[in-house]
Amino acid sequence: MTPTTDSVPDDSWIQASRVVVTAGKGGVGSSTLAAVTALAAAQQGAKVLLASVDGKPNLGRLFDGSPLTSRQRDLYSDPSGGQVRGQSISPEQAFGDYLDLRGVGGLMRRVVKAASLDVVAASTPGLEHLLVLGKIKELERADDADLIVVDAPPAGHVTPFLASATTALEAVAPGPLRTQAEEVHAMLSDPQRTQVAIVTLPEETPVNEAIELHADVCALGLSVAPLVVNGCWPEQPGLHQPVTAAAREAGVTLTSRQRTALVASSRFGAARLDLQAHQLDRLDAALPLARILLPRLPTPRLTWSDLEVLASALRGAPQSSSQHQPDGTTT
Amino acid sequence: MTADPAAATFAELVDTSALVVTCGPGGVGKTTTAAAIGLLGARAGRRVVVVTIDPARRLADALGIPAETADDPHRVRGLGRMKGTLDVLMLDAERTFDRLILDKAGKQAEGILNNPIYRSIAGSLSGAQEYMAIERLHQLHEAGEHDLIVVDTPPSRHAVDILTAPDRLASFFGHPVYRTLVGPSRAMARVTSTATAGFAWAVKRLAGPQIVEDTLDFFSSISGMEDGLRKRAAAVSKLLRNQDTSFVLVTSPRAEAIDEALHLNEALQDGGYPMRAAVANLVHPLPPACTIDPALVRAGSALDDQLRHHGELTALAVAERAELATLVDVIESTKHDDVVFCQVELLAQDVHALDTLAQIADALSAPAA
Repeated sequence: MTPTTDSVPDDSWIQASRVVVTAGKGGVGSSTLAAVTALAAAQQGAKVLLASVDGKPNLGRLFDGSPLTSRQRDLYSDPSGGQVRGQSISPEQAFGDYLDLRGVGGLMRRVVKAASLDVVAASTPGLEHLLVLGKIKELERADDADLIVVDAPPAGHVTPFLASATTALEAVAPGPLRTQAEEVHAMLSDPQRTQVAIVTLPEETPVNEAIELHADVCALGLSVAPLVVNGCWPEQPGLHQPVTAAAREAGVTLTSRQRTALVASSRFGAARLDLQAHQLDRLDAALPLARILLPRLPTPRLTWSDLEVLASALRGAPQSSSQHQPDGTTT
Repeated sequence: MTADPAAATFAELVDTSALVVTCGPGGVGKTTTAAAIGLLGARAGRRVVVVTIDPARRLADALGIPAETADDPHRVRGLGRMKGTLDVLMLDAERTFDRLILDKAGKQAEGILNNPIYRSIAGSLSGAQEYMAIERLHQLHEAGEHDLIVVDTPPSRHAVDILTAPDRLASFFGHPVYRTLVGPSRAMARVTSTATAGFAWAVKRLAGPQIVEDTLDFFSSISGMEDGLRKRAAAVSKLLRNQDTSFVLVTSPRAEAIDEALHLNEALQDGGYPMRAAVANLVHPLPPACTIDPALVRAGSALDDQLRHHGELTALAVAERAELATLVDVIESTKHDDVVFCQVELLAQDVHALDTLAQIADALSAPAA
C-alpha cells in the first residue's frame, strides 16, 4: 500500500491479493473485520471463502446464525454475483488432509492419527499453524474462490501463526514438511497473494499491541493492508461545548434534569473523543499505513444490518452516525 | 450487573481466599482486574502477589512497571496507604518450565534443557503456557511468602484451556506412544511397536531424521520425570478446587465476550471449580434520561450533537445491561453458593496509571447499587 497517512484508501485493496489475513489482539474485532471484509468483497462481485482457523463460532453467526464447520457452506449471495462461503479449518482436519495429499492411508494412517497431533506437533515447532496455513495454500491453489479471508488466531497466537513457516524453515531438514513450509512462505510473502489486515481499537493498549504486531508482520516480510481502526465514536464537535451554551445557541430551555443528563453523557463522550484523537495521532506517528475507521455501533451484539453498515464503511462509503438509530435499526 | 444485597462482597472474597484466579476472554481487562483485586487485598492487610503472563506485559502497562522486570516478585509502591504489601510477577513460561525440570529431573536436567525438542515444547506445546501459569502458582504457594496469590490467566485460544492444562500435560506424558518411546529398550521399542514406528515414521517424513533422534533422546531423558510431573499436575488440580480458592470470571458486555464467559462458567461448574465472582468491565455508563423533542433542535447544532450522543450512549448502555442480565441469570441458575457480581464502568480515560487502577479497586469494593 502507498505509505500515506490519514487517508481513506479506495476499496481496491480488498482484492489486491488472493488471501487477506485479519489480525489483532483479543477483543479488538479481528473476527468482525474478517466477516466485514468478506462481505465487502462479495459486494464488489468476488467469490469469497471466509475461513475461521480457531473455531470462532461468531464468524458464521453474523451471517446465518450458525457457527462455521469444517464443511464449506454458502453464507451470502450478492446481487452483483459475488458470494461468501464459509468453513472452519482445525489443525486436526488439516493434518488429515495433509496425509491424504501425501497418499498416506490404511494402517499407517490410523497409526499416525493415533499418535495424536499433540505428540507429533510437540516435536515440530509451529506444526499445527503450518498445517492450517498449508490447507489455506491448497485452497488458494484450487482457485475456487477469488479471495480467501482468514481470521487469524487471537491474542498471543497471531505472530506464531504467521511466523510458523519461517520458524519451520529454520528448524526443519529437507523433506515434505520443509517443502510445505517453503510453499506457505512463498504464499505469505508474495504481496499479490497475501496481505495482513491489522485491526485495533482507538485505545492505549490495543494501539501499543497494533504497533508491536505491525513490527512483527514487517519483520516476517509480509505485506500489510490498510490499518483498520474499529470502534470509533463518530466525530461530534458539539460535545466539547458547554451544555448551557449549546442550549442557548439552539434557543432551547433545558430543565435542570435535562441539563444534568446531557452534561453526564457529553462529558463522557468528549473525553472518549479526546482519547480517540490522541490514539489516532499515535497510530499516525508510528505506522506508515493508510487507515480506515469503522464506527462504533451502539450495540454490544452485532447483527446482519450492522455488518452491512460496517462493510460500507470499509469500502469507504461516507458514514454518518445518524444512519444508526438508537433503537438499533438502520435507515 | 445487579447483586443481591445479602450476597457476598469482594471484600469478603479477598479476605477469605488464599488463591484468586481471574479468567475470561481476551481484551476484557482481566489483568487490570487481577491487579485491582490484589490492591484490595493489600489494603486489607494481606501479603499479596499478582501473577500475570509475560508476553503482552499487560500488568506492566497497568502498573507502570519497567519492561525488564524479571519473573521474580516485584514490590509495587505508590498506591496509597496499604496495611499489607503488593507484589507483582511477570510469568516467563520457559523459565518456569526450566525451573520445573531442574527441580524434578536431577542429573538429567542439563541434557533436557539443551535438547532442541525440549526448547520447542517449552515454548509451544499446546497448554504449556497455561500449565506454567499454574505451576508458578504452585511454587509461590509452597514458598509461603504470600498469603494471597492472584493469578491472571494467559490469553488462551479458549478460556477453558487454563483449566484443562494440567490434565493435558499429564496425558501428554502418559500417551501410549510416549510410553513406548520411553520403554525399557529404545531399540526394541523402535522395531516392535507399531505406534512408535508410526510416530517415528510420521515425524521423519514430516521433519527429517535429526528431529526423530532429538525426539527420542528427549522422551528418553525425560522419562524419570514423568511420575513427578503427573503428581505435580494432580496437586495443582487439587489446589485449584480448594475451598479457599476463588475463581473470578471477567468479561465485557460485548456479545463475543459474554458468549465465551457463559461457556467458561459452564466449564467451571462442570469441573467443580469454586466460581465466586463475576466482573463485567468496560461497561458504558448509563446517563440519566433526557427527552427533548428533536423538532426543537436544529440539525448540526452543538445541542443536536449532544442529544444524539446521549441517545447512542443510552442505547448502548441499556443493551449492554441486558446482555449482562442474561449472564447473571445463567450463573445464578447454575450456581448454589453466593457469587459476587460486580460491574465496572468504562472510565473516561484508559487505565494505565496507578490512580485509575485504584478507582477500579474502589468500584470492585463498592456496595452493590
